[in-house]
Amino acid sequence: MNAITIHMKLFGAFRKFGDALNFTVPAGSTGAVVKKTLSSLLSGNEASLVFDSVLADDSAVLTDGHVFQADAKLCILPPVCGG
Amino acid sequence: MTASLYTNVSDDPLNIQEAYDFVSDPAHGAVDVFIGAVRNHHEGNPVTGITYDIHETLAVKEFQEIGFEAQNIWEGIKIYLAHFKGKLGVGGISVIIAVSSAHRAESFEACRYIIEELKKRAPVWKQEHYEHGNSEWLPGHSLRAQAERIEEQLLPKKKSGGCGNGACGCGGRK
Repeated sequence: MNAITIHMKLFGAFRKFGDALNFTVPAGSTGAVVKKTLSSLLSGNEASLVFDSVLADDSAVLTDGHVFQADAKLCILPPVCGG
Repeated sequence: MTASLYTNVSDDPLNIQEAYDFVSDPAHGAVDVFIGAVRNHHEGNPVTGITYDIHETLAVKEFQEIGFEAQNIWEGIKIYLAHFKGKLGVGGISVIIAVSSAHRAESFEACRYIIEELKKRAPVWKQEHYEHGNSEWLPGHSLRAQAERIEEQLLPKKKSGGCGNGACGCGGRK
């Protein structure tokens, strides 16, 4: 199965791991699989925080059911607290 | 026609006069301004400052959606919404929301609506810095509900779509 590269920009609490992470998942993976893979690369509270966070691209929040067929530039958005 | 909604993320200090000037309108007799500022304590810990991290593109998009919602509820209001990005010391201004309207009730209510929605929906994160030197990202509202709403919006389309002749199990729906 072909692998695709995910370029994941990090925000908020995930910044302790850098501004971004690159990793691969099988083509056709869902958002849920991408989050699980990302979680496996992290440690501490942030590994579980991934599952309370959402994926997004530069225009919208993406669902856990979203299917990725090609390389993608994404970001992981932890719970928000602006103002 | 003059613009009635301004939204921005800025790493320059926010400007209260600019907010007032944008919403000021000869037909409006009320201007309500909410200013968010960095306080010097949180849950008993002395705070020296806050770093605001923001996904700028999505934040501005969300600010606009919130603004449009408010203008649908309170017709004719003008809105200015700017959020700071970067590090602020105690007393620094993190957000300015100004709303003007013909009468005061609409501007008070809309201003409250906008800040409450912003806190729940806009991709903004706060890292507090404490007097004893450490820092902590604050917990917040998960955007999972937003993602689930998108999923729900997609599902009916999938369910209602069909081949039209029942071959795909659609019951003959088109």
